[in-house]
Amino acid sequence: MTRSRILCLALGLMLVSRAIDAEEKIKVVTTIPDLADMTRNVGGDLVDVTSIATGVEDIHAVPMKPSFAVLLNRADVVVLLGLEAEHAFLPALLEAARNPRILRDGPGYIDASTFITPLEVPARIDRSLGDQHPMGNPHYNVDPVQGKAAARAIADGLSRNYPEHATIFKQNLDAYLAKLDAAIARWEAEAAPLKGKKLVSYHPDLIYFAERFGMEPAGTIEIRAGVDPTPSHIAELEERMRREKVDLVVRELHYPAGLAETVAQATGAKLVELPVMSGGSPETRDYISFIDYNVRTMLKAVAGGA
Amino acid sequence: MRSMLSNRRPVHVALGTVVVLLCGATRVGGQTPQELQQELKAMKAQLQELQEKMKKQEELIEKLSAPQPTPAGAVRPAAAPAAAPDQEQLEKRVTENIIQKIQPSLAAANKTFPSQFNPAIGLIIDSVGSYKENERGNFEFRSAELGLSANIDPFARGYAIINGTNDGVEVEEAAIVTTSLPYNLTVKGGRFFADFGRLSKFHDHDLPFVNRPVVLDQYVGGESQADGVEASYLAPFQQYLTLTLGAYNKLGADNTRVDNTVPRDMSKFTYLARPATFFDLTDANSIDLGATYAYTPKVDTYTADNMEQIRNGKGRHLAGVDITYRYTPLSQASYRGLIWGTEVLYNREDWNDGTDTDPVFHRTDAWGMYSYVEARLTRRYYPGFLFDYAQDISRVQGDTKAYSPYFTIWASEFQRLRAQYTYFDAPANHESQFFLQWTAVLGSHVHGFRDR
Repeated sequence: MTRSRILCLALGLMLVSRAIDAEEKIKVVTTIPDLADMTRNVGGDLVDVTSIATGVEDIHAVPMKPSFAVLLNRADVVVLLGLEAEHAFLPALLEAARNPRILRDGPGYIDASTFITPLEVPARIDRSLGDQHPMGNPHYNVDPVQGKAAARAIADGLSRNYPEHATIFKQNLDAYLAKLDAAIARWEAEAAPLKGKKLVSYHPDLIYFAERFGMEPAGTIEIRAGVDPTPSHIAELEERMRREKVDLVVRELHYPAGLAETVAQATGAKLVELPVMSGGSPETRDYISFIDYNVRTMLKAVAGGA
Repeated sequence: MRSMLSNRRPVHVALGTVVVLLCGATRVGGQTPQELQQELKAMKAQLQELQEKMKKQEELIEKLSAPQPTPAGAVRPAAAPAAAPDQEQLEKRVTENIIQKIQPSLAAANKTFPSQFNPAIGLIIDSVGSYKENERGNFEFRSAELGLSANIDPFARGYAIINGTNDGVEVEEAAIVTTSLPYNLTVKGGRFFADFGRLSKFHDHDLPFVNRPVVLDQYVGGESQADGVEASYLAPFQQYLTLTLGAYNKLGADNTRVDNTVPRDMSKFTYLARPATFFDLTDANSIDLGATYAYTPKVDTYTADNMEQIRNGKGRHLAGVDITYRYTPLSQASYRGLIWGTEVLYNREDWNDGTDTDPVFHRTDAWGMYSYVEARLTRRYYPGFLFDYAQDISRVQGDTKAYSPYFTIWASEFQRLRAQYTYFDAPANHESQFFLQWTAVLGSHVHGFRDR
């Protein structure tokens, strides 16, 4: 009798532990909220996603907190923007996390830029040209079509790690891409007034957005990517902006306001303030609302609104 | 046809790149003809694979570019203005598709070149111009520090810091670090900066001010350089907590009291333990907290006048507590912030006041500390203030104090100018000191976790 009770108890415990195991989700850490949102869409109920950045940060200056190392230590996979966007914090955090699974080239290292066609790939690597990204401009997340490629890379990465769920990831990806396609068609139609508009941004964060919606980047407030401007650069920029009739000055929200305002006032260009990731402003709770917000804000500025 | 040519251009560029890289490979020195032949063979196979892919892409282009059959009865639009953007869109997508397809092959081809395995290389130049009331002026070439780093294999990485100074060239660090040990363990071996406190692990040029605090110079021996082995463990808790244990010949690059090159008894190694943790107070406010204890059971001490070495010395205990507060507003992290760092060190050691044959030991306790605060006003301007205090480690002389306001200007992430004034108040030296430091980084520069 006692033996059978013990057997029943053991069997019960085994079943409970298996049930708990089955309920365990795939722990995903992403570098930015855009990738977190895409991963949630692709992974559905199978994933538990945390983003290192909240969305208000400069991707090149995310603080390297030890608490992130703890997150990464427990992660099954890490999803990153790639193209060296996270060079200032991710390599060091991965080293501190002591999780070989998510080290570069490890199975759990999912680079969302795998299917991206990079813009601004430097023809010459030279620090006199600024803080260059040798593989190209990494701020592709502001372009929803590139966002689709990132979502595909995430689905690929998850399927590679968890082939048993590949069908679900594929279904979820297809549904998400259909949602994005519908939104892209709407944005492309709505954004017609942006075509040909010239913009200057603080940092080359909006190259992909400009490319997608037919805008013309006309320089940056930074003298080179990652290098703060000098007075002579600002004078030259303002003169060129007036000459070329630049329409917009974009201040990415993580850069100081003063200089962008001054440049806009001096040249008569409209000042636009934009987040560069979802979560960067209260209206941008997920990736689609982030792109939506940026398109609408740009349109409003072009139409002469605030 | 024109569009097809333009679509093929990236493919031709890619092919050209591969051929040029192939030619370049033959110029790589130090390879045997067999190795070159093997490499050529591999490249040929890749080229063939690439050509096949191109062929498939061309077929796809032709298929997509072919006029679509018009259904019977349907009226073909005369001149559709919308057709041009559609065509443009199609071309763009096909181009993107081709590049996406060939990208992995190109990347793989690149990786076959031997030079791709060379470590990342960086050089840091650090020079200081100084004027001291008593010593007068000096242009000091402090160092040219060559850094090399690379993964060794799937299990370890390695790095070396080779430092050239006025005193010659020395290997400042050269260590192997494991990357895939289980149970959150990392083991480091070779010559490296031991995990003592916070700023002891910083190279001179990485310090937030011009000179290393007096207490670190006197008690640790400058940079915490050590030849030995260190194991570090990340506790599996929600709370960040690490524990480091180490064993070394000695601690401190400038610690000349112990000979680094001779074999020694186990009792003459230095053993270290350090727990460290971190508290996220809010998104913007955080505290790092650590404590270190370094114990040398037997130290070969010197007489009080530092002239004569006494064998069979007694133990040395060196302990430290470090706290670092950071204010880093997330949305302004690149141009706003504040850091306050403090370390307190305590040294207990038995010093010999007698002779080698007739030693008379007396126990000496000494302590010292530094505390600094630095603000980040813009991306360029970082003012700060450092306070230094240290009792003489052998308690023969009086205490040293120093007050140092400083101002750092970052021209870019890779070049920095720093001006510092120090009022130096030591027993036999009370003086004002002026420093101007110019530091630059060439090549690879890694943002290390220990330098945060």
